[in-house]
Amino acid sequence: MSVFTLSQASKEEQLVKELSALTEHHRARCEPYDRILSASGFTSASSIADLPWLPVRLFKTLELKCIPDDEVFKVLTSSGTTGDVSRIHLDKAAAAEQQRRLAATVQTVLGSKRLPMLLVDTKAMLKDRRSFSARGAGVLGMSTFGRDHVWALDHDGEVDLGAIRGFLDKHGDQPFLIFGFTFLVWLHLYEVALAHGLDLSNGILIHSGGWKKLIDQAVSPEEFRDRLRRVGLTRVHNYYGMVEQIGTIFLEGPNGGSLYCPDFADVVVRDPETWAELPPGEPGLLEVVSTLPTSYPGHVLLTEDLGVVHGIDDGDWPGKRFSVLGRLPRAEARGCSDTYRGAA
Amino acid sequence: MRFRFGVEGDLTTPSGDRLAVGDPRVVEFLSGLARRLLAPAVARRHPELGSLGYFLRPAELKRSVDRMTQRQDALVFPRGNVFHLPPANVDTIFVYSWAISALAGNHNVVRISSRSAGAAEVILEALRETPADPVIARTQRMVTYGYDDTVTAALSKWCDLRVIWGGDTAVDTIRKLPLRPSARDLTFPDRTSWAVLSVPGWRAADPAARRAAVVGFANDAYWFDQAACSSPRTVFLVGGRGTEAAELRAEFLQLLLDVVDRRGWTVDPAMAVEKRVNAYELAATGAATALDFPDNRVTAVTLAGAERAPRRWIGAGAFPFAEVDSLLGLAPAMNRQDQTVSHFGFTPAELGAFAVELGGRGVDRIVPFGSALTFGAIWDGYDLPGEFTRLTTLKVT
Repeated sequence: MSVFTLSQASKEEQLVKELSALTEHHRARCEPYDRILSASGFTSASSIADLPWLPVRLFKTLELKCIPDDEVFKVLTSSGTTGDVSRIHLDKAAAAEQQRRLAATVQTVLGSKRLPMLLVDTKAMLKDRRSFSARGAGVLGMSTFGRDHVWALDHDGEVDLGAIRGFLDKHGDQPFLIFGFTFLVWLHLYEVALAHGLDLSNGILIHSGGWKKLIDQAVSPEEFRDRLRRVGLTRVHNYYGMVEQIGTIFLEGPNGGSLYCPDFADVVVRDPETWAELPPGEPGLLEVVSTLPTSYPGHVLLTEDLGVVHGIDDGDWPGKRFSVLGRLPRAEARGCSDTYRGAA
Repeated sequence: MRFRFGVEGDLTTPSGDRLAVGDPRVVEFLSGLARRLLAPAVARRHPELGSLGYFLRPAELKRSVDRMTQRQDALVFPRGNVFHLPPANVDTIFVYSWAISALAGNHNVVRISSRSAGAAEVILEALRETPADPVIARTQRMVTYGYDDTVTAALSKWCDLRVIWGGDTAVDTIRKLPLRPSARDLTFPDRTSWAVLSVPGWRAADPAARRAAVVGFANDAYWFDQAACSSPRTVFLVGGRGTEAAELRAEFLQLLLDVVDRRGWTVDPAMAVEKRVNAYELAATGAATALDFPDNRVTAVTLAGAERAPRRWIGAGAFPFAEVDSLLGLAPAMNRQDQTVSHFGFTPAELGAFAVELGGRGVDRIVPFGSALTFGAIWDGYDLPGEFTRLTTLKVT
């Protein structure tokens, strides 16, 4: 079973219809959203790239939802380094659907059976309220796809070699799931596995969380895969997703090098000067679209990430394949404000 | 602590040096600085330093000194020790504030932000290269230090006048540190500035005058990313509504883009996104009814009414527009936070009546397009030479 089945042409046809209907649905139920579209003069879209995008940061400054207060089932928040956080409102249906679609997406590479799961993280992180939201939600969300969970790091964030060895002794001879943030996997699993000769060859690694820290250490995504192969880990899938489009993840294909869009989602790379869609090969600002946001108008979002489409219908799976290249640096103005902050 | 100018050492040690109001050694030094800033190579790279250099020309300095010393009812002396906390990002403000204070004969300590760059570095270099009497380096000092409350507290206890530029938060934070009982603060908090454009005045102007107006407006708006206290943000179209105003606006924006093009000014993608976010917010809350994004460098926002004009910064090259019937009708929408109104196409009588109607309740400066950023000795409603001096009365019998 796969959710990576549609060619770009059939996806385009299907998504334009569904996302246009969603746009109308949100306009009718979310007045601020309707006002934005009216003020920008939007009427209708004939392609995915024509759909009206919202800058993702808008969810940090505005409350945008399409459901009455008494139907709000869950409010998700993103972690923000500057204090501003996105607030994403889900009703029961949207919450269930996002979990179902996320499951379908990861089952493409995991199969439908729940696998023993090694979490490259510390359980203590779940208790830390400040850092909980993004990392904790990611771990918790993914942990439902595994069983017999073992944490690879102890409460102090140190590698728990005993726990990892125990896990491998018990489950290492069958397929098992490894999940963690890219940087933690590199630092705490790869290096430990190498040093102690751990056999990870039955593992399937799913990892996320950005490449910045690794690039700082001069480790490219290609090198990451190469080096993991040396400890037997050949089934490695990076993914890209954000709380503002919860349930939708763009997953790296079996051969690596590209992220793929599930059937209910797509990406558009935009020229940051003209805002027109760029052809494959040309990097620009990444827009993500998904049919999952039904309770808030987050179905067409301009991210603050740079990306590039590598090709269309020419990879492991059909549709667009792309990479995320990094973050757009934040705008800072010259101005009279901000002379002095107290020493914290 | 990094000493950027002046003799290194303890900043709060009592000094035996005495400067007079309009001290010739200071005048000579500032004139020398002006010459450096007005050098063509500097002015080309940093046009804002040109206006600073102009402000420091000998004739201007003499005018300032005359204004300080002209009174007959008292003797005028330096205020004493002045501690300046200028904004991080407007590179030139610290010089204006410091120069007037130095001209008044004060001993000054200026905290230069560690984020300062570009033009500020050029100024500091010029300061160091300008020949000076040794008393200058002993009494005029510029330093960079982190957010260190102990240093700020010590300097706050040292000074007779503390000059705080910057946002409301900066003012509040610094004010927590006590001054000597006899000292006081001069604060320049968050401000908002506007542009007013007379529809009949625009129609009466010939193409050259219109273009000149837009060139002035473009400088005012783009030099400091529209984020200086005096940078115009919302443009009020006055005395014409509907098609008339719409045509004017279209022509104005076209000319503006043209000027921006010629200057080669750019707005980076992050700033363009920032502007989208802010414009969408204005639309979402009903403050804006139409948004136009003709180009990253220009964002045009149609406001639902003059009273919906945003007072916070919404990005470089973001121009809300609102229509009002008359300047007098705009007055009620102005408040204490509003600093500069730059104007085009009005009669002196209209502008005078507007100022009287405002009655000092808001708006401290009313200046023509192109002069919004021109610093003056009267700023934010204060007569700076007066603030930087103290008066002694002498009655013989």
